[in-house]
Amino acid sequence: MIEARNVSKLYSRGVYALRDLSLKIDKGEFVFLTGPSGAGKSTFLRLLLRESLPSDGALEVAGRNLERLTPRQVQTYRRSVGFVFQDFKLIPRKTVLENVSLVPRVLGAPVSTQHRKTFQVLKWVGLQHRMNAFPMELSGGEQQRIAIARALVNDPILILADEPTGNLDPDLSLDIMNLLREVNARGTTVVAATHDRELIRRVGRRAIALDHGTLIDTDERAGRDEPASKHDARA
Amino acid sequence: MMRALRYFLEEALASLWRGSKTAFIAIATIAAAFFVLGGFLVVTANLERLIARWQEAAEFSVYLRDDSTPAQRTAIEAALRDSRLVQSLDVISKDDALRRFKLHFGALAAASGDIPDNPLPASIEVRLIPNADAPQVEALAAKASSLGGVSDVRYDRLWIRRLTSAVGVVRAGGFALAAILVLAAALTVASVVRLALISRREEIHIMQLVGAPLGYIGGPFVVEGLLQGGIGAALALAVLWVAFSFLSTRVGPGLAATIGPTAIVFLSPLMSLAILASGMMVGCIGGLMAARSAREIAD
Repeated sequence: MIEARNVSKLYSRGVYALRDLSLKIDKGEFVFLTGPSGAGKSTFLRLLLRESLPSDGALEVAGRNLERLTPRQVQTYRRSVGFVFQDFKLIPRKTVLENVSLVPRVLGAPVSTQHRKTFQVLKWVGLQHRMNAFPMELSGGEQQRIAIARALVNDPILILADEPTGNLDPDLSLDIMNLLREVNARGTTVVAATHDRELIRRVGRRAIALDHGTLIDTDERAGRDEPASKHDARA
Repeated sequence: MMRALRYFLEEALASLWRGSKTAFIAIATIAAAFFVLGGFLVVTANLERLIARWQEAAEFSVYLRDDSTPAQRTAIEAALRDSRLVQSLDVISKDDALRRFKLHFGALAAASGDIPDNPLPASIEVRLIPNADAPQVEALAAKASSLGGVSDVRYDRLWIRRLTSAVGVVRAGGFALAAILVLAAALTVASVVRLALISRREEIHIMQLVGAPLGYIGGPFVVEGLLQGGIGAALALAVLWVAFSFLSTRVGPGLAATIGPTAIVFLSPLMSLAILASGMMVGCIGGLMAARSAREIAD
């Protein structure tokens, strides 16, 4: 699904955000990117979102070499990728319904399809009853659920989550991770960046550890089938 | 396509509503620019109509020397009648001229009684055919002035031509001023729409990340500019109409008595539509300038 071959990212001030990174992530996998601040987690996600290009090396997603995409192909590619950010990135002046339906709307879907798909994902994240609320009226956990709903509404093959629990307390963090596990159980590949090693331990999925832009560890561990419980989290 | 247009319109209206104060500045600037442009068009169009009326009614007068002989007068009349430019002649004797003077200038008529001899010359008033060619008429006037017994030739069209030139200068100046104002209006729209764009930077980023087509990102800004331009131009036309109605009720009757009942008119429907369309175009250009920035954010 994702293959990075000797990927480096050099910023203009001469600092390497990623250096000679090679890794593979299989289709349907749930992978954590971990490491301290400045390790290169967000930079790698930005490369996967095709927000920037590697300075060196090659990065392929679902058989596409991201470097060779034309602007139009970048648009098409991004429609197959969902993203979730730490700060949710919801549009404050739009309701929950409008925030989530923005994706099918700007992709030109008919209104009936927009509403059907939006309602489906809102129901899936358990917030269909808040569809007329504005983001500021929601808790942090609810806002992140809406962000996940928006990421899912276009049936992506890949979900990229950059510190999705960074603004949430441990219980809510686990809720969000369980939701992402459910997304993954439906066949969607999930790549989540977090520096929270404890959360990774509880969720129990492969973790790719980065430090100063280089791969220092890729921990193959069997994922647990059942969601991690809040009780477990507090243990 | 219709879905896209609906999306652009809804987003543009919402943005106008949100940024109503800044949008008002852009609309007012466009309205001011098009008010000036429309005002110049009204004034110059009416002056041109007036000049055309005067041109149609134009005549030239051949003043005869007091000592001109009957033979000379007959020769002058014959020379004028032979021209295909002349519709009719009216021979005014010295006595007729004095009677007219007393009729039109009653206050001065008493004073004229103190003058022993009638100082006014006899004349031939030449009425020209409609749309007579000006250079040919000038040639005829020059020929008449060279005939024996003629003291002077007064040709109305000389000053009409000068007036036409003056109107042309006024119009060119007006258009230049309006062009500067319209350019300023376009830049104002661009700035205002760009402000809206900056306030929606996050939203544009999200649209970029979900793979929205560039047209969807920039479209609402173009429509917002177009609406601002259209509203501004419509406002300018409305204010111009109110000002025109007010002035025509105040000075219209006086003008009508002098130059005819239908002498002053407002802009034609076609011209009004052209102003409205120009306003929308100017706004659209401003919106496009801002939309280009949106695309730069997206890129």
